[in-house]
Amino acid sequence: MTNFPDEGWMEAFRETVGRDPELAVISKWFDVDMGLTFGERRYALRVRKGRIEEIIPSPRFDTRTQFQIRGPMDLWKRFLSETPPPLYHDIFAMIMRVPEFVLEGDTLVAMQNARALHRMMSLMRSVGKQHA
Amino acid sequence: MPEFEPITGRYMKVSIKGKEHRVFVEEAGQGIPLICLHTAGADSRQYRHLMNDKEVTDRFRVICFDMPWHGRSDPPTGWWLQAYELTTEDYLAAIEAVWRALGVERPVFMGCSMGGAIMLRVASEFQDEIRGVIGLESAAYAPGRYNEFLHHPAVHGGELVATYTWGLNAPQSPEAGKRDNWWYYAQSGPGVYRGDVMFYSFDFDAREHIRGIDTSKCKVSLLTGSYDYSCTPAMTEAVAKEIRGCRYTEMENIGHFPMIENYELFRTYLMPELDFMAAD
Repeated sequence: MTNFPDEGWMEAFRETVGRDPELAVISKWFDVDMGLTFGERRYALRVRKGRIEEIIPSPRFDTRTQFQIRGPMDLWKRFLSETPPPLYHDIFAMIMRVPEFVLEGDTLVAMQNARALHRMMSLMRSVGKQHA
Repeated sequence: MPEFEPITGRYMKVSIKGKEHRVFVEEAGQGIPLICLHTAGADSRQYRHLMNDKEVTDRFRVICFDMPWHGRSDPPTGWWLQAYELTTEDYLAAIEAVWRALGVERPVFMGCSMGGAIMLRVASEFQDEIRGVIGLESAAYAPGRYNEFLHHPAVHGGELVATYTWGLNAPQSPEAGKRDNWWYYAQSGPGVYRGDVMFYSFDFDAREHIRGIDTSKCKVSLLTGSYDYSCTPAMTEAVAKEIRGCRYTEMENIGHFPMIENYELFRTYLMPELDFMAAD
């Protein structure tokens, strides 16, 4: 977890997503441009057919994304912990019950891709294990 | 010989608020009737492990049914002319109609999630005629689950609803249980989960009714999973404080779907409550 959320960790996340057998089954139409903010660290992701094609660190404001997920670092660390505590164990739990954890932008696009997006976000915990 | 499970399923004709319904009922076991209510947008398959548990079915007649519009129960004729939106009144009427049609006396009722919520009203309404209620993930008031994407033409409702509820499982629960529940949710009819959540989030408020429950007539056991963020342990604890003589246990490492997500762990919490219900 020491490297979270630097660019090396994001590369490992990209690899984890790319070799996930479940995403390979469900992500034929998972094409989104999305933002991820971990505390003060920001990334834009270009996802195509369920693969993270591009990771853009510290994106400028002209880098357009359809929706964004952001939260303070301590929330992400709880989410990524081996045994996450209640309310921090799932992105939908945090969106509903943790006010500082926010899904914003075109949330319809996020919900159209809910199954694959949820799977991809849950894989973050596997990356954490590799780096623990 | 085929490996049949001991569960028998049948269709029953029943009148609910004057309208004919075709309701699917499945059951296993003999003894004290235990009528079980599934969660929002799901069906009685969630109780398949309970109905296969010999230690339970040796002394309980476990009866589970799909609410109208759910699972294998049909919506009433003319359903295409109405949006499905469950109300407290309709929910109670359906439960009472099925119970009376079955002809069982002094049953125990058990329900989970919205079924756990309505248990509080079943107890307040029918406390003179029933043995008790077991509320799983019961809140007296639980707003916050509703959103317009649950039934939206640009969203695959089955996949969204199943994914939206996935996080309500505890992370420790076995993969198979969580995946079974995902599948059941994905199979619900268009807008059915939304219509159930409308009951749960807007119409239902039992905060006054629970004060009238007399546990010397109708026993009340409440069990809530520590990972449930829809009905949190704190929400059930608030209910338990209002019902004198009520039993309440927080179930460690369980979420919102105890009977399907992790039955082996759930039954360790359930058995003492079944003993409590069976005792005279």
